[in-house]
Amino acid sequence: MPPKSKAAPKPKGADSSKQPTLTPSTSNTTPAVPATVAARSQLRYDDSRPHDAARLKAGLTGLPRDEQAAWISARFARTPAARTRLPPKAQRELWRQVNEASLPVRALRGGTKGSSWGRDRNGLDVGGYSVERFDEREARRARLTCLEVASRGFRERRERERKGLRDPATGEAVFVSEGEVDAERVRRGEMADLRRELYGTVQGSFALDPEWDDVIPIPQDEPEAALAAIAYPADYDEAISYLRAVMLKKEYSQRCLRLTETIIEMNPAHYTVWLYRASNVFALKLPIADELEWLNQVAFANLKNYQIWHHRHLLVDNLYPALAEKPDELARFAAAERDFLTQILVQDTKNYHVWSYRSYLVGKLGVWGSPEELKSIEGLIDDDVRNNSAWSHRFFLVFSDPAHTTPGLVATEPDPAVPQDITSREVEYAKEKISLAPQNQSPWNYLKGVLVKGRQKLSSVEEFTGGFVKGLGNKDGSEDVQSTHALDLLAEIYAEKGDKEKADLCLRRLGEKWDRIRVGYWEWRRKCLEEA
Amino acid sequence: MASSSSFQQRPPPQTQTQTRDDSETDEEFITERTYYPAFMIPDLFTQLPPVRDALVTSTSRVQDETVDTCLPYLAGEDELFKYNLHGVPNLDREKHIRFLHASLGRLPGRFLAADASRPWFLYWALSALAIMGEDVSSYREAFVETARGMQNDTGGFGGGGKQTSHIATTYAIVLALALVGGEDAFEVIDRKSLWRWLCALKQPDGGFQVCLGGEEDIRGAYCTAVIIRLLNLPLDLTPASPAWAGDGSANLLSSVGDYVRRCQTFEGGISSQPNAEAHGAYAFCALGALSLLDDPRRTIPRYLDVPRLISWLSSRQYAPEAGFSGRTNKLVDGCYSHWVGGCFPLIEACLSPPGAPDQAAGHPASAGRVPPAPESLFSREGLIRYILCCCQDQSKRGGLRDKPGKMSDAYHSCYVLSGLSSAQHQWELAPSAAEDDSAAATVDPVWTVLPYLDDVQVFDQKDLVRPIHPVYAIPLQSQQAIQSYFLAKEGF
Ligand SMILES: [Zn+2]
Repeated sequence: MPPKSKAAPKPKGADSSKQPTLTPSTSNTTPAVPATVAARSQLRYDDSRPHDAARLKAGLTGLPRDEQAAWISARFARTPAARTRLPPKAQRELWRQVNEASLPVRALRGGTKGSSWGRDRNGLDVGGYSVERFDEREARRARLTCLEVASRGFRERRERERKGLRDPATGEAVFVSEGEVDAERVRRGEMADLRRELYGTVQGSFALDPEWDDVIPIPQDEPEAALAAIAYPADYDEAISYLRAVMLKKEYSQRCLRLTETIIEMNPAHYTVWLYRASNVFALKLPIADELEWLNQVAFANLKNYQIWHHRHLLVDNLYPALAEKPDELARFAAAERDFLTQILVQDTKNYHVWSYRSYLVGKLGVWGSPEELKSIEGLIDDDVRNNSAWSHRFFLVFSDPAHTTPGLVATEPDPAVPQDITSREVEYAKEKISLAPQNQSPWNYLKGVLVKGRQKLSSVEEFTGGFVKGLGNKDGSEDVQSTHALDLLAEIYAEKGDKEKADLCLRRLGEKWDRIRVGYWEWRRKCLEEA
Repeated sequence: MASSSSFQQRPPPQTQTQTRDDSETDEEFITERTYYPAFMIPDLFTQLPPVRDALVTSTSRVQDETVDTCLPYLAGEDELFKYNLHGVPNLDREKHIRFLHASLGRLPGRFLAADASRPWFLYWALSALAIMGEDVSSYREAFVETARGMQNDTGGFGGGGKQTSHIATTYAIVLALALVGGEDAFEVIDRKSLWRWLCALKQPDGGFQVCLGGEEDIRGAYCTAVIIRLLNLPLDLTPASPAWAGDGSANLLSSVGDYVRRCQTFEGGISSQPNAEAHGAYAFCALGALSLLDDPRRTIPRYLDVPRLISWLSSRQYAPEAGFSGRTNKLVDGCYSHWVGGCFPLIEACLSPPGAPDQAAGHPASAGRVPPAPESLFSREGLIRYILCCCQDQSKRGGLRDKPGKMSDAYHSCYVLSGLSSAQHQWELAPSAAEDDSAAATVDPVWTVLPYLDDVQVFDQKDLVRPIHPVYAIPLQSQQAIQSYFLAKEGF
């Protein structure tokens, strides 16, 4: 062992200018406190290699003789292999010099240029950190390592528990308690925070959740060249890679249900996840009422979404057999659904999916004849007499009700089973609404639909319809049409009565003046008339 | 035609701009202005309709707003556009093409909602490009890779990798494969598993579920019929099919007509499923499906009340906007240029006389003769004006849209251009050889196309886009190529 450098006598003499200079004469003055950790390392490196910096700058021969000697000695001192090749005398001389000049016998290796401190989360060189900041970072890294070790321990215990293996230390069966799982969850949260702070890496919430440890996510494997590939947000990417995994093994569980909820929140248009959710609900025999409750909230948040309504449809199909046995419950359910639909339709009065669901529901529950349903529709028509969806639903309610219609007939077909009073009631209803705004096509279509369905002559509304058309064909400017739809129906009425000339006049005036955009259609109607 | 008899005398925009704030000199200006050529815009497209109600409801409010929004565009007042003498701007192909190419590239995270419908995005963009005459075969390799990743071993294509197969996304993939063309593309499709899967979707009432456990609606019928015909799939059902009859009497396309028929509403239009509201998109699906069952001249009148359907279809076009709406009392929207506009070639064909089978076999309600239309059943001029004036995004963005104020997207680009194509062309069905169902059922009727010439042509010749097949919604050549490829193939 070489003598310890601390045992070496201090360089003699206090006057550094006279003293054989053993600190490099050409070196730059080093700041007392290094600004960064990289600078501190440089300082340490330089300290361990006296004269190196100066030699690199000026070359060995450029140094004063005593410094040359010191550098050479220092080199030998820290190179044991070289040292042993020196004759004994030279070795003694070397140690003398080393002692006198307090030369370091160990040097930091490698140099500091290009040494990698790593980058922090912001892409900054950690070497540029202040010493305090660096120490703080190191403390966090140490903390993270501790947590990782503990987490690994947890995973091992979990694995043992799953495989039914015994604890090697105690020899007892492993049981992972709720408390341990919770602690692990907290631990992983802290680990994720530390990783984010240190390296900027964001970890998905599923990877952090011990509950999902047994699932190996299946990542998206899109080919490089894929067209219109979507750059997934990280959380979505992670969630659907877990979805693929659980769907593949056909797992139905509470955690899968939560997974579908997470994905639906991010992308409610993902039909696959909706179907999988329904499978979970049914496989786990979850209360349909709870699922509907959850679904209500989702529906309000996603008014334009389509999948929600099919999901609801599936839930009702599933619930129905139980309801069918209990009329009270069925009525209660129908009322609750109606309330919900009313609220939804306030937000979006013509939402096609909502209306389609509503007609399905009426058919499924068999509530065509429900006065509340009809009243609810009337309320919507009162709010906006032009709401055609509400008119369509009314037609379905009235003319598909098996209580007074022939089963299996389509909407456009006349039905001998429809009672006269119902037809009259509907005709009056349509007329009343037409009077509010005669150019509104919805009640006119309804009126004609009712007349055909109820096997009424169109001419039964001739007087009413004629009331919206004055002085037809007059060339003195007195011709007045309050409704092109009235004129259209009048043409049909005249045709029905065999008055082709008047019918033709109606159609001609529609094409010439009152509804010119449809002139091609009106001309075709004239042709039909001609050939009839 | 009455609609072109009165013109709004309107100065070109540059002169109007100069005098906009100068109302006192109006009279002087008008005399002076006669030196400038006026746009020939029928006042039908620049003025409010002659019959209007006073009652205000939320429907009339949004309708009035829409008219207000569209009028300046229709009247040649938009300063970003250059108008021709008819007051119609050119189709800005370059911008739209750039927009569509970009939409096939990598999409940012805000497109997440499209994650389950990427095949649609691909079809829309490729189709819109093809309609504008772009060669999309350069996308073949990339598309083949993309499509392969979306196919399931159990048959069909999902909205993305490892998603449940869906009839709509499968339809979109098949059409897009036809668009990029070539054996490599056609061979992506596992026809055998696809056929099995379609059998599993087939319902006893004639309709189709859109995916296993999914809803049953008329899209399923149309998409399936297109897939079967383009890929020459067998019609036989597997015993696993819910529609399997045991005696072999039911097949993949049986009772489709009955299902469609149940979707016609009292208004005459077609709903997504029985008992819902008539809607433009489903009208196209209904007519498309019927046209693939057999000769549309037979099937359409057999299953539908044609006069009421035409009445409803024709009511979809409004003035002054001149575009189509999707439902009664709803607003015009560029995409219905296809969904509603695309119904007219099929309807006009079923009214056309050459070789038309006897109409007496038709639907009871339309019994008797339904004559051919003496002129176009809708205002082609109007639709073309709405498309070129209101549906083009004039900003740097490009692409086509629902209406002014809405963002352009691939969906509207595809269907607006498709509507433009059908308005610019005249389709005819070759006289049908077979008069009985059995022989005709396996042979597609022959469609021929010419540019539509009967009206004043308001668009410039260079804005004529490619014809697309009225049923398959892809160019004729693409349809023929894929169909003959699979017709020549024996077995799967
Ligand atoms: Zn649209």
